[in-house]
Amino acid sequence: MKTKTVHKLYWDFEKEERWLNEMSAKGLNLVRYRWGTYTFETGAPGEWIYRLELLPTDVRKPDGRQYLEFMSEAGVQTVATYMRWVYFRKPAADGPFEVFSDLDSRIAHYQRILTMFASVTAALLPITVVNIINTTRNGSSLAFVLPFFAIYLALIATLATQTIRLSRRVRELREQKRVYE
Amino acid sequence: MPDETRGPLTETVFYVLLALHTPLHGYGVMKYVNEISDGRINLGPGTLYGALTTLTEKGWIAPVPGSADDRKKNYVVTDDGRSIVVEELKRLDELLRNGRRVVGEESR
Repeated sequence: MKTKTVHKLYWDFEKEERWLNEMSAKGLNLVRYRWGTYTFETGAPGEWIYRLELLPTDVRKPDGRQYLEFMSEAGVQTVATYMRWVYFRKPAADGPFEVFSDLDSRIAHYQRILTMFASVTAALLPITVVNIINTTRNGSSLAFVLPFFAIYLALIATLATQTIRLSRRVRELREQKRVYE
Repeated sequence: MPDETRGPLTETVFYVLLALHTPLHGYGVMKYVNEISDGRINLGPGTLYGALTTLTEKGWIAPVPGSADDRKKNYVVTDDGRSIVVEELKRLDELLRNGRRVVGEESR
């Protein structure tokens, strides 16, 4: 079977999911993911529906394993795992496939991702500040440290953007929940 | 929070409890709920897993004994779970009665 490898980095899991389903519509089915490297196998177009989920626990812990087993009983394949992220797929012939079908569980999922982004941002912020202060004190040349600062700041900006986006999403869904289930 | 102060059941919880009046495993619940709702409800496996965990903790459903070495774990509603459904039916009856009285029978 022919394979195709794509290197890509996504911050937004819904964009990533959309892209994977666009690939699947073209007959390129994700079979592996590792460190920003997606491996696709060619197959029939539109054969699979892909979904991403951030689990509450590590995939290798009993809870995580039990969950993946449950998914497999429900006809859902685990294509790849990456930290707490799982890449699922289900045959499109089985009908529509969403991991979550009500507002409560969707909110909980967004909240989980939000917490992750927020805590990474919060952890990175003091490190950046300390680094900036240290290098300024050491009197390192500005031309040398500037690129590092730029990278740090870009990373923090990206993480913060994601955190804001997700908290908006959670707020929207909570608003909906005041009227609907 | 004590269960006495409970509000309406969510649709997911209600249908999972109904489905488990017959012992079923996860996939069986998804299929059953899809069928009795004429395809309107497609329970997400993630949502269902969460519901099964919560309802088991509450004691409204329980794993069927003896199904442990079977890879597919079956669940069944408990007596508590049954009475929860009966209570909910009373509430739903009231909603329907009042709704029809005000809006009229054309809503049928």
